Amino acid sequence: MAIGLLEGTYGPDGFRTCEVTGLKIHRSAEVPLKLFGLTAVVALILGGTAALLVALTRWEAVGLLRPTQFYKYLSLHAWNLLIFWMVFMEVGILYVGGPIVLGRKLPGTRLARIGWVVMVASAVLIEYAIWTTAYPNQQPLLTSYAPMKSSALFYLGVDTFILGTVVAALPFFACIWQEKSENPNGTLPLVTFGAFVTGIIAVEALLGGLITYVPTFLWRIGVVEHIDAAWYRQMYWIIGHGTQQINLAAMITSWYFMTHLTAGAEVVSEKVSRGAFILYLFFINMGAAHHLMADPALTAGWKMWNTSYAMYGAVLASLIHAFAIPAGIEAGRRKRGLGGDSWFGWLRTAPWHDPGFSATALSIILFGYLGGITGVLMGQMQLNTMRHNTLAVPGHFHGTVAVGTTLAFMGLLYYVIRLFFRKEWILDRLARLQPYLYGAAMSIASMAMMEAGIVYGVPRRDPVTTSIPGTSFSFSAASPMLAILGIAAAVAVLAGAIFVLVAVGSLLFGKEARMRVPVPLSLTGSERPVHDFSMRGTLAMGLFFMLVFVLFYAMDWMWLSRLWTFGT
Amino acid sequence: MSSPIRSPEGVWWNWRVNGLERTWLAIAFVWCVILFGWMVGWKDLGAQNPTGPTTRISPGRYRAEVQAYEKEARQTDDGIVPPGEDVYVGAQQWTWNGLPVVLEAGKQYRLHLSSYDVQHGFGLHREARMIEQFNLQVLPGYEWVVPIEFKHPGIYDVQCNEFCGVGHRTMHGQVIVK
Repeated sequence: MAIGLLEGTYGPDGFRTCEVTGLKIHRSAEVPLKLFGLTAVVALILGGTAALLVALTRWEAVGLLRPTQFYKYLSLHAWNLLIFWMVFMEVGILYVGGPIVLGRKLPGTRLARIGWVVMVASAVLIEYAIWTTAYPNQQPLLTSYAPMKSSALFYLGVDTFILGTVVAALPFFACIWQEKSENPNGTLPLVTFGAFVTGIIAVEALLGGLITYVPTFLWRIGVVEHIDAAWYRQMYWIIGHGTQQINLAAMITSWYFMTHLTAGAEVVSEKVSRGAFILYLFFINMGAAHHLMADPALTAGWKMWNTSYAMYGAVLASLIHAFAIPAGIEAGRRKRGLGGDSWFGWLRTAPWHDPGFSATALSIILFGYLGGITGVLMGQMQLNTMRHNTLAVPGHFHGTVAVGTTLAFMGLLYYVIRLFFRKEWILDRLARLQPYLYGAAMSIASMAMMEAGIVYGVPRRDPVTTSIPGTSFSFSAASPMLAILGIAAAVAVLAGAIFVLVAVGSLLFGKEARMRVPVPLSLTGSERPVHDFSMRGTLAMGLFFMLVFVLFYAMDWMWLSRLWTFGT
Repeated sequence: MSSPIRSPEGVWWNWRVNGLERTWLAIAFVWCVILFGWMVGWKDLGAQNPTGPTTRISPGRYRAEVQAYEKEARQTDDGIVPPGEDVYVGAQQWTWNGLPVVLEAGKQYRLHLSSYDVQHGFGLHREARMIEQFNLQVLPGYEWVVPIEFKHPGIYDVQCNEFCGVGHRTMHGQVIVK
């Protein structure tokens, strides 16, 4: 059955034409795309299960797991969701953004297969290493901070996983190479351009990973005698944060694609949106420095220059996308006469019942407010010291990778099921509800973590904070926040389970999809260029966002200024 | 149609950018300059910065430094009273050397931080207060000297907040400010 799922009906040349998008899709690109997408869902199931156990432990009134178990499941949660779910999805996104959007074959399909096999084998090795970790080894969590030792198999698995990912990405780059060789003066479509930038950021991160993990593996097996803690931190974060930048760029590429497909969004300025991707290319990897703000061994100048992506080059890029994508929806829909002439009619009449759209739209909004603002606050050298290693940090990154990237990828997968697997969604009503349930629950969980961290100072990576052994001191004032975290996270896991149920159920039992072009795409609309249409609704929303941003920024600095004096 | 999945035709570089989008670009740019300027300005004008001189030191030598300091310091029921302005804290799985320590409010100290074994986190939190904490990374092989001055007397709890092994949760201490 698994093989059957990957197959489709193609013409004698191996191509078929998508009835919805009009794209020419070749079998060599579609089969690996499906394979990577399915593998990502397996990781989502494993990581989501671990998430439930972790959350029910941090809800200390429940206190499900002993510390050793807690760290095991925390490691599994991190690696399955933050790495495997994301990276398998992202390789799939490269195949969509490259060969499928360009209407080309995927060159070197054997490399795609080899890459997949190596990635899956490495992922299994990492899971095994985590599962069997025993003293004197400690659980790696996500960061495996040297000189604390984890299982040698773990480091080996990371090395081969990175190699496998590079191999799987090569066919994408070959495809871009072929396209540019044949059309040297042509412009890549924006989605392909975004995928290309994502690919470059990915290779930078992956090479950084090899620079980190090969010597670390050699140290662990005794070939290298000493490993420097500060060196490890700086090198590790090239991949540790770099992978999150891949998530960001892939998510934004997916936002452009999905808002177009489901709501009729257009690109309001090729120049501006591409410029923003270029800013990412130059500056975003400097964000690795965010993790080193409270470190010794680095000068203030180094910290401030790098943490700010050279004076906020990458923040500027994100702010540009934050305007360009909603503006694309607004102007695209106004151009088609959808939603009337009012300020927000275009938004009110958007296809909120379509999980592909609602997941994408919620991802954009929640990423901005929860992940984006807190990310910039935490990334300021001084403000970072109040949040560093508290629960506010997981609060922030669940605002980026959970309600942001994961939700965006869920929305994308709803359409992968329809357009590529060609299956109708089963349990249609549940599917409509799912993005809202997941978005709301995960947002609450994320905010509860932020509050527990910043207001009460509750540490992250710690299963026992309200009854610390050997002291009367505790963080018990934060207990209500931890309870909210536990309950909200459990609901979010339930929403994730609904997603898996709909996705896997549709693949196995879904009817063959009736290919309907979504209404906005079926309308041609006005002949006037899209940038002539009003974007006032988007600007109003943008200004409101900016107001909230400024308020939180001011509040954080006020809190910091009330603290004791420290530093030079 | 300007579709993100089609190649734009013509010289798209010259296409007009909507006036409201240009407005947003200007706002975003100004905000980025403010973000950078404020952070850099606080470094020189503000009183809270995670900065201070760092020197390389072997864990063994740092341990010897802490022991020499503890010998010189006065031991009281509340904790160690440092002999001068230098306060030494040594982290190891899963305890803090040099804590509890008794300090005076309004006096500037030099806080020395390093680890004997793995990475730790010096998380300091004023007891029963909200939004009053900071966290500094503690690395083996590096001695970090951070100037510090407390404004208010009180109990400040120290919790390791970098995962340092299964006993991580038990690693705590106190700074008592009088």
